[in-house]
Amino acid sequence: MEPKEIILSGNLELYCLGLTSKTETSEIEAWAKEYNEVAMEIESIKAGLEDYAKLHGADPRSEIKEKLFTRIKFPVVQDKKNAVVSNIGALARSKYSLVSPVWKWSAAAAVVLLITSSVFNLVYFNKYQSASNELSSSRELLTQEKAQHTEMKHDMDIVHNRYSVPVSLKGMEQMPDATAKIFWIQNTGEVMVDASNLPDAPDGKQYQFWAIIDGIPVDGGMIITNDKGIKLRMQKMKAFGKVQAFAISLEKTGGNPKPTEVVSMGKI
Amino acid sequence: MPEIRKYSEDELITGLKARDQQAFSYLYDNYAAALNGVIYRMVDNRELAEDILQDAFIKIWNNFSTYDNVKGRLFTWMLNITRNLTIDMLRSKGYKKQAKISGDENSVSNFSDDIKISERFDAMGLRRHLVNLKPAQRNIIDLAYFSGFTQEEISKELDIPLGTVKTRMRGAILELRNILQ
Repeated sequence: MEPKEIILSGNLELYCLGLTSKTETSEIEAWAKEYNEVAMEIESIKAGLEDYAKLHGADPRSEIKEKLFTRIKFPVVQDKKNAVVSNIGALARSKYSLVSPVWKWSAAAAVVLLITSSVFNLVYFNKYQSASNELSSSRELLTQEKAQHTEMKHDMDIVHNRYSVPVSLKGMEQMPDATAKIFWIQNTGEVMVDASNLPDAPDGKQYQFWAIIDGIPVDGGMIITNDKGIKLRMQKMKAFGKVQAFAISLEKTGGNPKPTEVVSMGKI
Repeated sequence: MPEIRKYSEDELITGLKARDQQAFSYLYDNYAAALNGVIYRMVDNRELAEDILQDAFIKIWNNFSTYDNVKGRLFTWMLNITRNLTIDMLRSKGYKKQAKISGDENSVSNFSDDIKISERFDAMGLRRHLVNLKPAQRNIIDLAYFSGFTQEEISKELDIPLGTVKTRMRGAILELRNILQ
């Protein structure tokens, strides 16, 4: 039979509807293999019938699918090869196509923030460093001031002490500017010397302090007038209970048992 | 991320051959309504139709390795399984074949009175075009397609000679193809 004849016969339609006998069916399938036109005609008839069936489709109730799926045992582990391939596919998708614009912008924003933050860090670190330096130098100054203040307070305490008896020592003829002030705390016998007005002692010499008790000079200790360029003010000397006068003499370093050259003196 | 995968027919067949549940799920979602419609037209009982539909899908799943896409379309293969199963069921249950022959052009809408016609495929417009199919042409297709009548039965039912069934059928299907194209 010629392909055209076969197509016009109506047998293909019957075949597609499953209405042909076994012999007719195998005959038609052989023709379909032989003639492309026949095969295409069969496809078209089937497509038409398929659309027709779909037009008459009726949705089964939704629970039918669940029911059906509980009745089928699906393999738990799928074909490994397929699984790997689909995993790779999923990975590739997530790596490239699933980067949403939100993430892109977030990443860009993060980079900008990081750079800004780094700049600020640098600026603030420098500021911090100079502030820290200032702070430590201020602290040092404060400590110095505090020490000075404590010293001054100590000095003032002596001056303000109600038992303190001030004694002015006046320079003798050979050294008229060798003046000093003594504060003798009567109740305790403590003796403080303000040596700030004493001229620096010549090299190899030191001022020695004396208390005159009953006409006899008693050693009251050495006065330091120059300690590495710093003038010491109030200096604590030995304590005396009963004193008529105080004197300062210039002696060799370390002092003498008896005064050799008295430069300043004052009576109570 | 759960995503609704779309399969081409080749992908679907590959997936089903690999026993992929997702592919089967897709197959059901896309063809259940059409097959159910066919069964329903044949048995005229909603619950029975849905039972047969389940059996049909189980058979499709179990026998999928025998499907050869060189031999024919997937839907036609499934439709044949479904129709054969339905015919078996009707015979075993002693159901009398009831040809739902209707000269009424609105038979489609009558049909939808008691069951929701799937909107998946339609095109209400397309369905309306079916009106252009002559009732006689529609009947002959329906008898073969939905009622599972043999050539002889159709010949008897329509009171036409056996030879005419062939030519009538061809004319009807040609018209159908024209309308649906």
